[in-house]
Amino acid sequence: MHEIKIAEDLSAIVLEAAKREKLARVTKVNISFGQLIQIVPDIFRFAFNEAVRDSVAESAEIDIEILPVKMKCIKCKNDFQVIGNRFACNVCGSTDLEIIQGKELFIKSIEGE
Amino acid sequence: MEIKIMKNILDRNQNKADEVRNLIKSKKILMMNIISSPGAGKTTFLERTCEALTSRFRIGIIEGDVTTDRDARRLQKYNIPIVVINTEGGCHLDSHSISRVLDLFDLDNLDILFIENVGNLICPSGFDLGEAFKLALVSTAEGDDKPAKYPLLFREAGAVVLNKIDLIPYTNFNYDSFMHDLNNIKSGVPFFKVSCTRGDGLDEWYKWISDQRSLLTDK
Repeated sequence: MHEIKIAEDLSAIVLEAAKREKLARVTKVNISFGQLIQIVPDIFRFAFNEAVRDSVAESAEIDIEILPVKMKCIKCKNDFQVIGNRFACNVCGSTDLEIIQGKELFIKSIEGE
Repeated sequence: MEIKIMKNILDRNQNKADEVRNLIKSKKILMMNIISSPGAGKTTFLERTCEALTSRFRIGIIEGDVTTDRDARRLQKYNIPIVVINTEGGCHLDSHSISRVLDLFDLDNLDILFIENVGNLICPSGFDLGEAFKLALVSTAEGDDKPAKYPLLFREAGAVVLNKIDLIPYTNFNYDSFMHDLNNIKSGVPFFKVSCTRGDGLDEWYKWISDQRSLLTDK
């Protein structure tokens, strides 16, 4: 249920941006989540709708892009997408890796009028 | 009209966590964030650790608990500073709650600070508290599939503890399968096989945590 806290923090960012840009209505919120964060989109939407109830963003649609896990091999510098839960380089087999994508909780933009 | 924002949603948490990390580091305290399911044995693990280490280190505990102070009361007998954070139903601690309670400790007289997070394997993994490392604690009674189901926690963990190894004969826990999944996610992570009720494997843990603390320059 970390969805609730994340939705609350997102709503604060959205409402602040809407105020700054003097929007009368926020129609869409575009976000990206890394696959490792294990967000359940339906729960997240529900939590966000509750967080923005009675505000300019109350009818905003949420577009969630899920980003697959990508790693960089420290040894051979290969970048690759992780399939399943095997966190090992698909070229040299090394497990000395750096996560380059998959932990995002990112707001890209809002749309409104 | 589209307005670009391009911002980490948990920026507020991350900024505060960075602040906490700097403060804790400047005080040369080893802060550890213990994450496990409810009932995996976090509090018993802390009881054993306090028994073994309070004579050598000044230990403090931040106890994250959903509604009660029962865990904290179990730890009171060690006569160490303990602060309870009741999350009132919240499923994880965040860096702001940690920052607020740090004022209640005498940080100049502390070597190790354990944070017992709320029992949960998903939510706490996403919130940096400013710790030196996360410790993932799982028990054999929960099944051997935890690393495969909760890869972020095991990937982020600086150490992994498998508790209740004395119960393996009474469960369908497959040790090889657990280790296979764990090695796929984080090969080489410091790993401790323990039984907190019987004492198996705890000496290696005490040595490791003592070494980690010693890596910080002495006060």
